[in-house]
Amino acid sequence: MLLTGAMVVIVLRLFFLQVIQHDHYVALATEEQVKKLVIPASRGTVYALDGDTPVPLVMNQQVYTLFADPMVVDEPTQVAQVVRDIAGGNLVVDNIEQNLTDGKKQKSMYRVLAKNVTLRQAELIKDKDLKGIGFQRVSKRVYPEGAMAAQTLGFVNNEGKGQYGIEQQLNDRLTGTDGILKSVTDVANVPLSIGKDNIRQEPVNGDNLVLTIDRNIQAKAQEALLAGLQRSGATHGSVLVMDPATGKVLALADFPTYSPADFTNVQDEQVFRNIATTEPYEPGSVLKTFTIATGIDKGVIDANSTFYNTDKIKVEDRTITNALKGVTGTITMQSALNNSLNTGMVTIAQRLGDGERINKTSRDTIYEYFHNRLGLGERTGVEIANEQKGILISPEEEQGNAVRYSNMAFGQGLNVTMMQVASGFSAIINGGTYHSPTVLAGTYDGGKLKPENNSTARPNVISPGASAKAKEMIHQARVGYTNTDTPGYYIGGKTGTSQTLENGEYINSQTVGTYLGFGGTDAEAKYVIMVQVSGKNMNLEGNKHAMPIFTDLSNWMLGYYQLQPRA
Amino acid sequence: MRDSLRQVRTSAQGLVRRHNPDHRIMMYTLILVIVGLIIIFAIGPQRANVLNESFGSNLSGMYFVIKQGTSVMIAVVSFFVFAYLLKVDVLLRHKAIILSIGIAACALLALLGNLVHVEAITQCALGACRWFVLPGIGTFQPAEFLKFGILIFLGGFLASRMRAGLINDTEKTIIPAAVLMGVAALFVIVLQKDLGTGIAMFAIVISMFVVSGVKKQLGVILLAVLLAAGLLMIITAPHRIDRVTTFLKGDEASIDDPSGYHIAHAKIAIGSGGIDGVGIGNSVQAAGYLPEAINDSVFAILGETFGFIGLVFILAMFYLLLLRILRLVDRLEKPEYRLIVAGVFGWIASHVVINVAAMTGLMPLTGITLPFLSFGGTSMLFIAAALGVVFQISRYTVHTQIKEDADEGTRSRRGVGRPRYASRRSR
Repeated sequence: MLLTGAMVVIVLRLFFLQVIQHDHYVALATEEQVKKLVIPASRGTVYALDGDTPVPLVMNQQVYTLFADPMVVDEPTQVAQVVRDIAGGNLVVDNIEQNLTDGKKQKSMYRVLAKNVTLRQAELIKDKDLKGIGFQRVSKRVYPEGAMAAQTLGFVNNEGKGQYGIEQQLNDRLTGTDGILKSVTDVANVPLSIGKDNIRQEPVNGDNLVLTIDRNIQAKAQEALLAGLQRSGATHGSVLVMDPATGKVLALADFPTYSPADFTNVQDEQVFRNIATTEPYEPGSVLKTFTIATGIDKGVIDANSTFYNTDKIKVEDRTITNALKGVTGTITMQSALNNSLNTGMVTIAQRLGDGERINKTSRDTIYEYFHNRLGLGERTGVEIANEQKGILISPEEEQGNAVRYSNMAFGQGLNVTMMQVASGFSAIINGGTYHSPTVLAGTYDGGKLKPENNSTARPNVISPGASAKAKEMIHQARVGYTNTDTPGYYIGGKTGTSQTLENGEYINSQTVGTYLGFGGTDAEAKYVIMVQVSGKNMNLEGNKHAMPIFTDLSNWMLGYYQLQPRA
Repeated sequence: MRDSLRQVRTSAQGLVRRHNPDHRIMMYTLILVIVGLIIIFAIGPQRANVLNESFGSNLSGMYFVIKQGTSVMIAVVSFFVFAYLLKVDVLLRHKAIILSIGIAACALLALLGNLVHVEAITQCALGACRWFVLPGIGTFQPAEFLKFGILIFLGGFLASRMRAGLINDTEKTIIPAAVLMGVAALFVIVLQKDLGTGIAMFAIVISMFVVSGVKKQLGVILLAVLLAAGLLMIITAPHRIDRVTTFLKGDEASIDDPSGYHIAHAKIAIGSGGIDGVGIGNSVQAAGYLPEAINDSVFAILGETFGFIGLVFILAMFYLLLLRILRLVDRLEKPEYRLIVAGVFGWIASHVVINVAAMTGLMPLTGITLPFLSFGGTSMLFIAAALGVVFQISRYTVHTQIKEDADEGTRSRRGVGRPRYASRRSR
């Protein structure tokens, strides 16, 4: 009776649980059994070009994180011995044995012992059949070219996110889309083959990107920069090489630099920054080429136009003087450019107005050319993270007055990046088409480069004729300075030495040296190179310290491109 | 052939011819054993996986079914030994020795495990030492032997008191039995912290006392003492209090509540099985969600796998088996036999009811195996032995139910735990 009663109650209870409440319990079961697991997409690799052939800059390597479950480890001494013998260089804890014993006391079930263990090391350790030891597969970025183009590449942090450079800027493309696995799993989240609603969505791996960076030019640029800095004693420098016909960045070298593989050991994160895109500055006299081009295109000057130079010129209540004094009297604009005379540039600005003053018409014109047409003070859109736009004050603003614009005419009173300047300069000397700069040539897929056009062209920002005239003036400006170029080619360039601002005041004890130039054949400029050197409390000059780096690299480029010299 | 071997036995009531045993007992048992092997075959691989993952062991998917198969073989041998070779009367003659071995084994375990800490041959968890580890053979739970010892010993002891008319004698009967149970409780419940086995042990004894015709007042006192002791057991052990409070929360208990985890998952397993179950090999709860999935919680996994239909079938098998055993009690003349059969009934019934009720949330959780279905050798070995004894005894039934002497009348009015009348009325 008692037994029958118990059986009846149990069967009723079972009916309640299994039939009436069935859906409720199925829901509970599903909630804990079905899990969405992520199948990680593999991060895209990065290539540079060797001529037309992609060569790897950033690759992935599967490495393993070695962890222990101290609650399961039964022989800490043996574990410590084996791990130290096989993966001694990868340890992240000092005393394995101590760590395991402590872990056991704290009832910890997860202790990382070593990182970046290779597959081979992992297999050797696995062969020892240690209890409580496990491996987690992680993907690590490796850099076959070491520190090459570090500030362009950036790195991938420990959370797998790109930091700086293209790794940050193109993080989404490199990351790809993780796949999803919806599956019934066991309690340790291991998927089981049981169940009908399992969903598997394959991951889409990140794009393998090919940069416009030419590994040979990049290597030479780094080498030339380093040599130039050693000669001058400058502590910081940056070199940008661009193809003026396309806007493709061929090299971007920064110093000091670092090795992306060792980003964790970097003390000063300044070295992560890409100077050419993220650090606007006053480039100084190199911008005189922009003023010349504007004047020529507007028809107010040409190389032989003359003006009367007294080494000083008044703008409103300010008097502007020349750095180089004594080239006075009636001189040509070519002479003004060759001698980098500020008064000549202010004269052009005046002629863009009513001839006397840098009026609104003049300022609007300068703004139109500098900003709208040649891209100063705007982000170029190059695929490098944290690009800065700098400051170019428009004539509509109160600050955009005549004094400001007179300064801008010789490269002061504005803040622009090397990338902006080199891109605008390319338009000036390439026949007048502005190409937005890019570091991305395309993707590498199935062993083939699939080109992408990431540059937009803005034609006729100055007329072809004006471009040719300006180019010739810049060529003459260089020829007047130096005879170090390989003969038979068409090389041009302009120096710049700019004071730096400290607490809003120009100081003379610290100057940045800049050189901006082009090179190639008579028919076509093949490259634009911009060099910047600086150092704390150092007076660095465009002609003495930046130009030799240009010359070194320029002569090498002529050989690298195997350009035919004129007969 | 068999006829020629037929023997004639004497008993207190006279001569009973030895006849064919009750083969249905064997049949129901066999069905349950086969179901047990199937479920262990089905969830063994998952179980092995879980252990491999969490303890780095290297068990194959067949490990559990092979081990259980071995246990079944041993249990079958044990059944036949006790059914055919070892005469019950011989066992009864040596009842004191059998009991002593059981107590000695428990004492040795307590000595080695709790006092000297010889970890090589004892298996302890959280201060409770329940198993001997026999290297190369497996584990052995002496409490199961003790159960068997108590069954045989009390069978003989109470029968002799019944014959002497001393069954209600406090000094000669009740106190010795109480002392014996006290000693057993000390080992099993206090030292081994195994309340489930302890309850089963008391269920055996209570069943025997009920059949022995003990006085009503004594029965009430005994029950009251046991209830008080049980309560004491519960309030002195925090995990038992947790289990009771979890039970009282019923179906509302949260899954995330650690003390409710086990029973909540048992219910999820059973509930998600539905009417016809998820099918063999499709149990997910066995993949590490449900604790003790292969041992004490196997009923829940059976529910998930075979559904309501399967569970009702399994319960029916147990029910029919138990009824068959009860039927014997009414048809045996010799008090020893009646007592032993009643004890076996109490043994199996308590295991089944307590286990199933706990798994379905009808009772607080206690660790107790489901006979023939749970993974585990010792429990099966001794239940098989006990059933073997019952099987042997089933040869000596008489055709009509025995009308007993004077105290029959008083017992029939007692009501509580009256298996023979229970069975009659249920038909």
